[in-house]
Amino acid sequence: MAEFKMFEGCMIGNRIPFIEASCRKVFDKLGIATSQAPFSCCPDPTGFANFDNDGWLAIGARNLALAESEGKDIISLCNGCSNTLKLVNHTLKHDNLKKDKINKELSKIGKEYKGTIDVKHFVSVLKDELEKIKSYTVKPLSGLKVACHPGCHYMRPSEVMETDDPMHPIDLKEIVAACGATVVDYGEETLCCGSSVSNAYEDHGMAILKKKMDAMKKAGADCLVVNCPACFQQFDGKQRDLSKKFEEEFKIPILYISELIALGMGIPADELGTKFHRTRVSDILEKIG
Amino acid sequence: MATDFEFRKQVLDMHMSGVIKYCYQCNRCTDNCPVAEVTDNAYNPRQNILNALLGFKDAIFSAEKIAIWGCTVCDTCDEVCPQSIELTEIFKLLKNHSVANGDAPDFYYLQAKTIFENAKAVPSQPAIERRREQLGLPTVAAPDINELTTLLKNMGIDKKLKGE
Ligand code: SF4
Ligand code: SF4
Ligand code: SF4
Ligand code: SF4
Repeated sequence: MAEFKMFEGCMIGNRIPFIEASCRKVFDKLGIATSQAPFSCCPDPTGFANFDNDGWLAIGARNLALAESEGKDIISLCNGCSNTLKLVNHTLKHDNLKKDKINKELSKIGKEYKGTIDVKHFVSVLKDELEKIKSYTVKPLSGLKVACHPGCHYMRPSEVMETDDPMHPIDLKEIVAACGATVVDYGEETLCCGSSVSNAYEDHGMAILKKKMDAMKKAGADCLVVNCPACFQQFDGKQRDLSKKFEEEFKIPILYISELIALGMGIPADELGTKFHRTRVSDILEKIG
Repeated sequence: MATDFEFRKQVLDMHMSGVIKYCYQCNRCTDNCPVAEVTDNAYNPRQNILNALLGFKDAIFSAEKIAIWGCTVCDTCDEVCPQSIELTEIFKLLKNHSVANGDAPDFYYLQAKTIFENAKAVPSQPAIERRREQLGLPTVAAPDINELTTLLKNMGIDKKLKGE
């Protein structure tokens, strides 16, 4: 496999870096090579894109140009980043007027967008390595009941993302199963976590989060697996507030899919920094021994 | 209600194919919208599409902020629309207008300012850099802030920021 440019994203890189730690360890095991580049913010497809569309296209195109200059595809650890970079790439490839307009701006800072590279979400890369994941799994996770939340921007809008079925996603489930754990269906897999609306309307975000958490709780999930730092923050960071707000206990541990794989590979939890989670991962660690 | 023809043209131009014209108000978008559900339709994507298509600029921008900013950008409406209308593209245009009018929720101005000044929505912090080191991670490759600020200034986007 050719080397990728690593796009860890600003939330993972500068706020919850333990997620990057598990991703890098899993990549190493599977032989996925990466290198760094001085990327800026992607920028946020639910924030900055709504602030100024052309500015969003220009910043995204500049990031793509950085990877293009080395002729390498991007691997993203975040739904938001892969959504932005794929949408920008798609828009500029299909709209020459926009492309010219953006390139005119980029030329003033000595950059050019060409449209020569691809962007991959790391889950799409991993789901092509299921056999390898199986063979490296030394610690059976059998009996662990895992709910999956791939998150909206992993697969939607499907026309551009071209990853998974937009309303019946399976990639994440397949990876969980490859680790030997049991996937539990809870019926709200494709519902958003409510993160984005929370930026302006916290109550509505909490109401959506509650609907998700209720369904998982009812299905008897031991933990929830995610593949986006914004989703992670919503589920991991807000569960305690949710319990308070609705006077009902929610305590489902949240794992990044890379953490679940790493635990199955026998990588010690200390090295993954699971102690930095807000929810209690120790219950899971006991369960898998 | 008055139609603003210039605004209507911008809406129609969003889709080169003009598919928004084919909205037949079936309500599938609103029926599947998680925010419409938890707000009793105070946020209503179908209504936004209708107002945008008719060019009812005032109805859109003089309503409560939530009428356009309640969207959680989950892109579900785009998937379920039987007419393949990319609703979120239209909503992006509405939100860009709202930002330019100075009417968006504070979060959007704050995030844009952070990106303008740091080239990242989440700037690097010493405590996290130490944690990265403890975890055996390389230092994040620093972005060229100056270059990004220049790019945004050239495009006049700094003028949309608040609280200078
Ligand atoms: S999507 Fe979010 S985390 Fe990723 S770079 Fe953009 S703002 Fe940062
Ligand atoms: S579930 Fe929420 S945070 Fe996650 S990708 Fe969707 S909108 Fe973003
Ligand atoms: S789902 Fe599509 S056609 Fe139906 S009301 Fe919404 S935008 Fe119009
Ligand atoms: S993208 Fe916005 S309008 Fe569409 S379903 Fe999601 S929250 Fe509703």
